[in-house]
Amino acid sequence: MLSKSSILSIADISAEDVMQIMETAISFRDISKREIKKVPTLRGKTVVNLFFEPSTRTRTSFEVAAKRLSADMINFTAGSSSLKKGESIMDTVRTILAMQVDLLVMRHSHSGAAGMVDSMIEIPVINAGDGKHQHPTQALLDLFTIKEKFGRFEGLKVAIAGDFLNSRVARSDMMLFEEMGMDVTLVAPTMLLPQDFSGFKIKSSIDDVIESTDILYMLRMQFERQDRKFYPSVEEYNRFLSLNGSRIEKMKDGAAVMHPGPVNRGIEITDEVMGGRKSPYKNVLIEDQVTSGVAVRMALLYHILGQ
Amino acid sequence: MTDDYRGNIMSIKILIKNASIYDGIKAKPFKADLYIKDGIIEDIDNYIKADSKDIRIIDAEGKALLPGLVDMHVHLRDPGFEEKETIESGAAAALAGGVTTLVCMPNTRPVLDEPALVEYVIDRGRDTGINIYPAAAMTRGLEGSQITSMGLLAEAGAAGFSDDGKAVADARLMFEIMRYSRQWQKPLILHEEVYSFSRSGLVHEGKYSTSLGLEGISSLSDDLMISRDIVLARESGARIHITHISTRGAVEMIRQAKKEGVDISCDVTAHHLFFDDSCLESFNTNFKVKPPIRSAEDRAALIGGIKDGTIDAIISDHAPHLDTEKNTTFRLAQFGTIGLETLFGAAYTSLCRDDGLDAVQLVKLLTSSPAKLMGFDAGTLKKGKRADAVLADLEAGYKVKAEDIVSKSKNSAFIGQQLYGSIIYTISNGKIMYESG
Amino acid sequence: MARHPRRKPMIEKASILSAEDLDRVIKRISHEILEHNRGSESLVVIGLQKRGVPLGRRIAANIGAFDNSEVSFGKLDISFYRDDFASNIKADIGKTEIDFDVTDKNVILVDDVLYTGRTIRAALDAIIDLGRPKSIQLVVLIDRGHRELPIRADYVGKNLPTSKNEMVSVRLTETDGQDSVVLVEGSGDVK
Repeated sequence: MLSKSSILSIADISAEDVMQIMETAISFRDISKREIKKVPTLRGKTVVNLFFEPSTRTRTSFEVAAKRLSADMINFTAGSSSLKKGESIMDTVRTILAMQVDLLVMRHSHSGAAGMVDSMIEIPVINAGDGKHQHPTQALLDLFTIKEKFGRFEGLKVAIAGDFLNSRVARSDMMLFEEMGMDVTLVAPTMLLPQDFSGFKIKSSIDDVIESTDILYMLRMQFERQDRKFYPSVEEYNRFLSLNGSRIEKMKDGAAVMHPGPVNRGIEITDEVMGGRKSPYKNVLIEDQVTSGVAVRMALLYHILGQ
Repeated sequence: MTDDYRGNIMSIKILIKNASIYDGIKAKPFKADLYIKDGIIEDIDNYIKADSKDIRIIDAEGKALLPGLVDMHVHLRDPGFEEKETIESGAAAALAGGVTTLVCMPNTRPVLDEPALVEYVIDRGRDTGINIYPAAAMTRGLEGSQITSMGLLAEAGAAGFSDDGKAVADARLMFEIMRYSRQWQKPLILHEEVYSFSRSGLVHEGKYSTSLGLEGISSLSDDLMISRDIVLARESGARIHITHISTRGAVEMIRQAKKEGVDISCDVTAHHLFFDDSCLESFNTNFKVKPPIRSAEDRAALIGGIKDGTIDAIISDHAPHLDTEKNTTFRLAQFGTIGLETLFGAAYTSLCRDDGLDAVQLVKLLTSSPAKLMGFDAGTLKKGKRADAVLADLEAGYKVKAEDIVSKSKNSAFIGQQLYGSIIYTISNGKIMYESG
Repeated sequence: MARHPRRKPMIEKASILSAEDLDRVIKRISHEILEHNRGSESLVVIGLQKRGVPLGRRIAANIGAFDNSEVSFGKLDISFYRDDFASNIKADIGKTEIDFDVTDKNVILVDDVLYTGRTIRAALDAIIDLGRPKSIQLVVLIDRGHRELPIRADYVGKNLPTSKNEMVSVRLTETDGQDSVVLVEGSGDVK
């Protein structure tokens, strides 16, 4: 039983809950390896994907997770331009609730949106990303991936590199990794960091961490999404913050590379490292993250709908 | 508390007995009787005899009698946004908060940038029974490019000038306004914000904005503009008033400017004294205000500025908004909280009860000091003065509830808070205009 | 953060099988299985978590010893197939490890106590999701009656009529340090 039925932020999830989710995810990972990748556990339950912001990966991941548990899944994708005013979010939610559904998975481009909806309804809400605030299921699947690869968390060194300021993934990951005893460093230029640095370990280039870190977590860099576009250029980014072949070769044995996806090739990670169908480098765990995503989301659905 | 009531409800003779009087002048409260007749304070003395039958007698034993509060920064939304508040509903809210004199801001629709509109507000205000003084815009339409007819507006009755809601980004224009304003001897009430820092910002740039993923407004937004305007005021000799300060930088700069003889004053809102940015964790949009509620260090500096006299007045910055404008995501919600009804309670609770400020000083910051800044004959309890008074129970606590709100709009940052200093009677122009319970 | 349902203290009412009895019963059942299936060639054994697993292992070992062969053994956890999922959610989900194909095999399904039959129904669903067995034959140590579904065991250690406010407590050396079956006062999980 998890301590709270909605998952809005990593702050809501205790270390005990995290361990429970990790345990259950192992069983679900095994189910996904079988011929028949389905169990009847959530038969008759209805889960709604309420995505106000487009996303193929996360939405599909939740869909697969729900279906493998035999739940019914409804996808509701709203163009953000058609939902300008806040009252429309609640109108949409009320319409969906009138169909007697059991769980909402919600993504919105405004921080706090999932929390706002959660405070107004009875059924549980899983935050699939709200503005720049939190993306808790991403952090959990990242943690699961790390556990599968390293067998532990305590003491592992993680460097999170890129656009911290605009990243909800970074906030969730940082909070979760620190809670589980990992040693977190941020690698970012001044424009992509908050004004007040206290409480963070900061480096300005990937080269400062590449040899010592156990995990290099690359964030998405979206040049068009920066407010006022303070970061100068792709060339500058490549020089100090990108992962290329020569840098990955400097990583220590057993170190891993992660990315929430989708990767902007040539920006965060070069084509050389990404490879064609699969990365030529064994320690790039991006696909493992996707597999973990289904298992972890199955575990969350199992625990929440079981309460 | 008993009333010996021998007359009709809107009695023109009122005798308040045994109140602890804070008159807005003396350094200590004193126990006395106060007699009101025909709108004027007839007498203040140790013992006043009730010598006729039609006097309303109020037993004020254990209660505090203050001058009617003077709130020098209120948004009445009328003309143009009457769904949010009207001059009448705003006056009712003011009376519930013990406010009998207020200055309303010109960001209405149309903007108060023409004499006829100033007259409209004054006329409608007169009928409310409280004293409403509009500030007129410094620039046409609040667009920050053309100076208004400040002379004509002053003659029409504008109490001061402000572009509140917006800052004048053009430094040269601000300088010309400052120079011109000296002729009319009315204060310039300045809203200080540098847009290159504040645009798309929602809350204070700090620890909480980072962890909550909300775009921040750096303190530099306020500080840079204040620093600019201090230089311009020094140069022009203008009388400037910085409204709703929020940063420790502001307190330091204004303190220093006063020492150097710049003709500057400033005010702070009750909510900036009551809250710091830790309140944001709830994502409650009633905490979305401009300037933003800042850090605990900033709040401590503001309280320090109150205690050492750097800050001259406390305001509400009453900013009504509709439910649809507030019950939404933080990004989409409008900025502002209402504050007329909680002005005294919030200021008293955070400064006197929680921080040990002398109530005498608090009362002055809400009455005689703002009155003096604006040049109003108000804010004191003195024989011969207009009878604007508030009877309050400083020990009585109450929880702020949405259903008790008098204002047309219900967006109060104080809902759920326990406040002290409850208003029992508000007397305006010699009439009891508000009675609690 | 597993929560355990409040249990009244268990008062032992009667001893049903001693360690020696248990041993004899398991041997007898193992022989019966061989007899009924004419040898061990097509047999595989699946033990249900949690006590069906050590029981199943013993049976698989016995069959193999008596018939001079290797009998495959697998463990099955049916948490995700239960029909009482919401009221019975547990944190301790056991492992399912079946590394052989069940298709065309005679599956010997082993559990310690047969009661309402719901666990076995869930187990049947789980096994059929894994392949198409030739047959599924059920072994239980104790059949205590009170079936709610039309399920019956093929091989029974002992039939034991019980009342609903009694419980059969099976202890095995591998899981509990001793071999015994006792009847106790009190109601617990529904099997």
